[in-house]
Formats: sequence, structure tokens, C-alpha cells
Amino acid sequence: MSAEDMGKVSRKLRLAFALMSVLFLIVLAISPVKDTLLPWRSYKRQFARFADSRPEHKRLLADFQPGVDQIWIPQLGVVDRCGTCHQGISQPSLDDPSVPAVFRAHPQIPHTVADWGCVACHRGQGRATEVQEAHETTLAWEQPLLPNRYIQASCGSCHLNDLREAPQLQRGRELLTRLNCVGCHKLQGITRPQMLGPDLTNVGAKVSREWIYKWLRDPRTLTDKDGNVTVNGVASEPRMPQFRLTEEELRGLSAFLSVQRHDVVSPAKFDARVLAVWAKKSDTVEQGETRFRQMFCTTCHAIATTRAGQTTLIGGNIGPELTKVATKVNTDWLVAWLRDPEGYLPHTSMPRYAWSDEDLYKVVRYIQSKLADSSLLSDVPQLGAPTDAEIQLGKRLFMQKGCSSCHVIDGIATPTEFGPDLSQLGGKTTSQLEFGQSHIPRNLISYIRAKVSDPPSVNATARMPQFHLSPEDLDAVTTALLSMTGEPPTPAWAQLRVSAPQPQFHPAGEFGEIYERYKCSTCHKFNGYGGTLAPDLSFEGSRAQRAWLMAFLKNPQTLRPTLTLRMPQFNMSDHEASVIADYLTAAQQSHDVRSGAVDTREYTPALATLGKELYEVKYQCQSCHTIGSSGGYVGPSLNSAGLWLRPEWIEAWLRDPQALDPQTIEPRLSMNDKELKAITAYLLTLRQPIVSSKASAGGTP
Amino acid sequence: MTRRSWLLLFLATLPIVSCRRAKQPGPDPIARAYDVEIDWNDPQRVIPLNYTQAQGKRLFYTYCVWCHADATPAGPSNRSNVNPTPALANDGVVLNPMSDQLLQNTITLGGSAMGKSAMMPAWGKTLSQKDVQALIAFMRAIAQPPYAPPARPGAQYNVK
Repeated sequence: MSAEDMGKVSRKLRLAFALMSVLFLIVLAISPVKDTLLPWRSYKRQFARFADSRPEHKRLLADFQPGVDQIWIPQLGVVDRCGTCHQGISQPSLDDPSVPAVFRAHPQIPHTVADWGCVACHRGQGRATEVQEAHETTLAWEQPLLPNRYIQASCGSCHLNDLREAPQLQRGRELLTRLNCVGCHKLQGITRPQMLGPDLTNVGAKVSREWIYKWLRDPRTLTDKDGNVTVNGVASEPRMPQFRLTEEELRGLSAFLSVQRHDVVSPAKFDARVLAVWAKKSDTVEQGETRFRQMFCTTCHAIATTRAGQTTLIGGNIGPELTKVATKVNTDWLVAWLRDPEGYLPHTSMPRYAWSDEDLYKVVRYIQSKLADSSLLSDVPQLGAPTDAEIQLGKRLFMQKGCSSCHVIDGIATPTEFGPDLSQLGGKTTSQLEFGQSHIPRNLISYIRAKVSDPPSVNATARMPQFHLSPEDLDAVTTALLSMTGEPPTPAWAQLRVSAPQPQFHPAGEFGEIYERYKCSTCHKFNGYGGTLAPDLSFEGSRAQRAWLMAFLKNPQTLRPTLTLRMPQFNMSDHEASVIADYLTAAQQSHDVRSGAVDTREYTPALATLGKELYEVKYQCQSCHTIGSSGGYVGPSLNSAGLWLRPEWIEAWLRDPQALDPQTIEPRLSMNDKELKAITAYLLTLRQPIVSSKASAGGTP
Repeated sequence: MTRRSWLLLFLATLPIVSCRRAKQPGPDPIARAYDVEIDWNDPQRVIPLNYTQAQGKRLFYTYCVWCHADATPAGPSNRSNVNPTPALANDGVVLNPMSDQLLQNTITLGGSAMGKSAMMPAWGKTLSQKDVQALIAFMRAIAQPPYAPPARPGAQYNVK
């Protein structure tokens, strides 16, 4: 090659080199240009402009800097850059709908953004700096933002205790407990109770094969005219879910269960003198109904009543709904059960009433004639006597279908973890879920909703039965399941976790026996343990006078006249009542109420007159409390306050009700000491004796 | 240009086209809401509530519902027992003209302090100021006719 040629080539090369340089320059410029055009920078610029337009701009822009804003909390593993765009998140003055949503302040919740970051509650990707990557599921980032509708799930991931501030989460946890989900699934924060479904060892002695068949096909025997199981807004859904069973399976299971007859129920026997009188009377059934209502069976058991075409369900949901119970159980079993429920089911929450034969006979006659529906089993085919093949099939199905997870039969083992472990479900990513043939959106929330509301839609061979939940309840259950995110991600999170207290209250001695017999803790709370239906009795000894307790236990006089759910009449003996009264008086005391703190000689008639004026004019307590026959229904009636309450309790209560019962809705008023004493003096003069319930007609449901 | 370069160009545009996101449906206010309340006068209408309003709802159904609503969680309402009859919490005709400050004082200090019926107790020692503000936010959200906040505080008192 000649030198001249080389010169030409080098010119060409030089040109190419120059072109390449420009190209490289452009390529190198891409990155900084892209960087300046990033969306978050534009959000920052927009915020600066927006802040300038506000009077408090100096405060808004005090921490403003052009780069990415990041919250870094190493021990919690928090690296959140959300504040880069959400600039106004901790500016209280921007909590206003007129502020653009991106810059709006976070509502005032008990946690601050600076201490907790955002992702811990809202999920999404804290490290991302692009809108889509931060909020949604992309290929690289799997965890989408949790919609606000379910945000209470995040409260539940750390707060395993009761959380009044998160009602949806509470409701969801209650439902998971009530529907016995722990029978098959492992759940976080919900422990398996002693009894799930009833023990079926002796069920053949209680119900007929036809009834079992009907119940297994659809346990909802009570429907309104549209076929809904929700009567007048009250869910009459039984705890037993609906299983998808074929005709053959129904025959097999009903055959197997109907031969579970280990103990023979002896025929019902009544005192001959009672029978001689009551069997002939024409109004036995009506009197039985009156007694049924007087005893407040409806506090635990609901009954559907139809008036003017409108079916309403009246009563509680602690025990099963009883509208058609006489068609379900045979009379011999019913009598034996009412006499001694624990004889049939050791862990039942049904109390053992002290029946007189007369009352029992009347109530049984009422149940037989009024709580029956002869057409209930009309759509059940003739099943006949169970064959060996059917029984064998039923026994196999009893284990295969998971019946044995909730129901006990002697000789059949209870499986552990029959269904999948759900204690980490809320933290699963989309790729960990199996959507099967379903067409639902690919995310955790639609997965949970589909699995709970219609299990076969996700997995055609699902063993999970059908639960019928209202839309609100489905949301609540979804929230509670989303809250179960398994073990805390870091030790610091583990320390922050608020565990649920597991109080127990099982007193010993004679009181303990009576307490277990009447199942007091089903409705009442004792030192944190027990139900919430009735007043907390932790401080009952400081509140009530012993004589009043005795009278109340013998005849639960109603303190709150409008309640339909009231303390049942247990017909307890004088001795039992005095044991309870003694125990409550001695043991259930509050440190804040001292019996020596008041001097009853101070309560002069003149002071009581002043108290009456304060009660009626200054504080107008009659808006919530009844005295005589006038006043409100919100608080308890005060007609017998002088016999019921201890003076030291009234004073302490008026001074600060929430100190004695944090849940009470009685407002704390600013009374001075003289006012407290005056009102106490007045209330102590109210001494209407407790009337006998035999005289009053009892509640009408 | 050759056929091959056209093909290459076409292939190069493919990812760009396919990367475009499908148009998202508009945000559903109910799904985005923290909680909802059914309109008391119209059961078909669902009112979305934000966090503060939802806290107000919880407090309302604990403390206030007994006298300021016709249906309560326990069934009957105490409203008919109280004289003068308390306003319904969603009664916009009565409550909309009242400023937030007036409502806050009435709830905190009670009816008698504000020259109204002493049947309304003072809640200032039971509820925090934040609680009371949440209650007011809830009442504003469910008001019928709907509540429109004044352009600036006190504007509703302008006399022309």
C-alpha cells in the first residue's frame, strides 16, 4: 500500500473516528439525560412549585433537597424512598382533600413515618423509585401495594392482641375463630379450642338418619322467602359449612353416623305427680313457652319468628338456632340433655340448669309442639336401614372429607393439619400461589377471596367446604388472613410484636364447681378471661353489695330493660348463690376502690337532695339511666342503686369510670368531690326492692 | 433499505409496543376507601370513608349512636327517651350550618356549656381532641344534604 493510499484510509478512518466520538458522546449522554427526566425529579419540582404557592412554604421546604429522600432503619430492614415523591407525607398542614393526592399528608395514625417507614404497613417496594415498580407487581418486584380496604391486615401482623382501632381485623379474627378454621388449618394467633364441632360418638341416639342426610346436604335449615339464610340482617349461618357431597356419599355418611350409638339414652321419665297434673292441662304448651322466655334461653339460642310476612331471628348465637329443633332431636335425648348436658358433651358451653320436673315437662312440651316443622325432612328420600357397605363407605368418608378434624368419634384419630398451613399466607408472593384454571386476577387478595368464597373455582378437587359469607364478612376474613405473615422478618420486629395475652380463669373449690356448672365465663369476663356478652366481673366484689348479689343470682332482675339477651334464670339454690356471692365479694376486688375510703355518715338527707338536683338538672343523668319509669335505656336502671352498689364504688366510678372499666361508654364528667358525694348520697336513697320474676311475665321475644 | 434492515427495525419496535401498559381502569373510590358507611337515608348509596372518618365511625358507634341515630347495634334507640330530641348525626339541615369549632365545643364541653340541653354530656375527659375531630369528620361525611366545607373558616357567617 502506498503512502498516499494510507493517507486516504486515515482520512476515512478519521471521519469514522469523529462519527464514533459523536455517537459515544450521545450514548454517554443518555444516562444523565434519562436521570434528569426521571419521574421522581418531576414530582420534586412539582412539589417545590406547589409548596411555594402555600403560605407555610418555609416549613414545607425546610428539609427539601434535590436528591432521593430515604428512610433507613437498619434494625427493621426498612429502606423506603416513598418520601421522594410523597413529599408532604409528614406535613400536618397538608392533610386536606384540596392538596394533590401525591403530596397529601398521611392521616394521624399512632405510628409516624419517620419511625416505621411506609412499606411495613402498605407493602409495595420501598427501594423502587418508579411509580409502577413502587406500587404494583412487576417482573422484578413481586409485592404490590396493599389496598386501603385491607390495610388493617398490617396492624394485625404485629398486634396479635385485640385491637379496637381496627374493627375489620377484629371481625375477621372473630369469624376465623367462630367458623372453626383452626379445625383444618394452622392459623397465626388462633389456638385450637377444646371442642370444635360436637362429639359424634353417640349421635345416633340423638338424631335420625334422615335428619343427618338433610343436614349434610345443606346445614342451613332456616331460610327466608327468598331462600337466603340471612334473616333480617342477622346471619343464621350455622358453624357447620356446606360440603359438596354426592347422593352416594350422603347415604354413606348418614348410615355411618346413624349407627354411632354407644350409650343408650334412657326413656324420658317425669315425676308421676307432675305428669298427672300437667299432661291434662290445656295450657301446658303456653306455660312452657312463658317459662322458656323467663329463663332467657334466647340469650344463647335464636328462634325465627314470622310476623306479618317478615321473618326475624331473635336471640343470641352462642348455641345453635332452635327454630326446628324438635324435628331434629328425639324427645328422650332432649330430656336427658336438658337435665345434664355434660353427660352427653363434656366440653359443652350449655349450663346444667337446676330444673324442677314441672318446669322441664312444660318446656319440653313447648319445644315439641312449637319448635318443630313436619315438612323439614319431606325432601329426604327413603333411606331405610343402613347396610354394611354404606357404613364402611361412610367411615372412610368421615376421615377423607375432614369431618374428623372438628368432630370426635371414639376410635377415629383427629388428623393434625388436615388443610394447608395458613399462618404465613398473608406474606406469600404471587409466584407462590397456584391459581389453577381460574380466571381471577393474579394477586394474593383475589386468590384469598376466591379460595374462601368458592374453593372449587381455584382448585376443582378442593376438600374445603362452602362457607356462606356476606361481602363485609368476606372482606374481614380476607383482612385477617392477610395479617398472617408468619415469623417476624428481623429480631427487632420480633421484639416489637404485641402478643395476645392468654389469660385463664379456672378457680378451684366449691365456687369453681359452680362456675363450671353454670358456664359463667361464656358471657362474663373474669380477670381478662371469658366472654364479652355480659358485664365484666373482675371487680364485682368492689361494685355490688353482697345481699344484692344473692338476690340477683336467685332471680336475675334485669338491669337493662331493653336487652333481649339477658342472664338466664338458672334456678340455683340458696347455697350456690351464697357461694358465688361470697367468692365475688372476697376475691373480685379492685385496688382503686377502698371500702374504708368513705364515711356513710356524710350522706345526709340534705346532701341527697342536692344530689337529686345535680342528677336531674345539672348533669341530667336521666338521658341514659332510668329511675322510676322514666329515663333512658343506655345505662342500667338505677331504681335499686342503693341496694345494688357500694358507696365507695359509686364515688370512684363517678370520678373516673374508665379507670374502673376502660370499655365503658359512661362519660367522665368534671365533678368536684362535693358533687360526687351528693350524687352518691342520692343514689343510695333509691331502694326499690327486686321483684320476683314469677310475677313478671318475662321478656317477649 | 434492504429487506433485512426493515425486519430488524420492525423487531426493534416490538418490545417498545409490547411494553406499553394496558390502560388501567379508573380508581374505584370504594376499593380505595379505608372503610364505608351506608347512607342512612338511601341504602343503595355507599359512602367511602378515609382513615379519620373511619375512626370517627368507630367512635360514633361506640358512644354516640344510642341517642343520635334511630337504629343502634343493640336494636332500639334511646333517642325517643330524650327531650329535646337529639339531632340525627346525618341531619345536614341542622348540622351543616354549624362550624367545626362549634361542634367540637359542644361535644367536648357538653350541651349546657353551649346553651343547649344538658342531656348532652361533656365528652372532653373521655374522648381526646383528635377523637372529637374524627367524629366531626364522620358526621360531615354522612351528612344529608351533603356538607360543603366553607371556603375559609367562618365564611358561612358572612352577612350580605
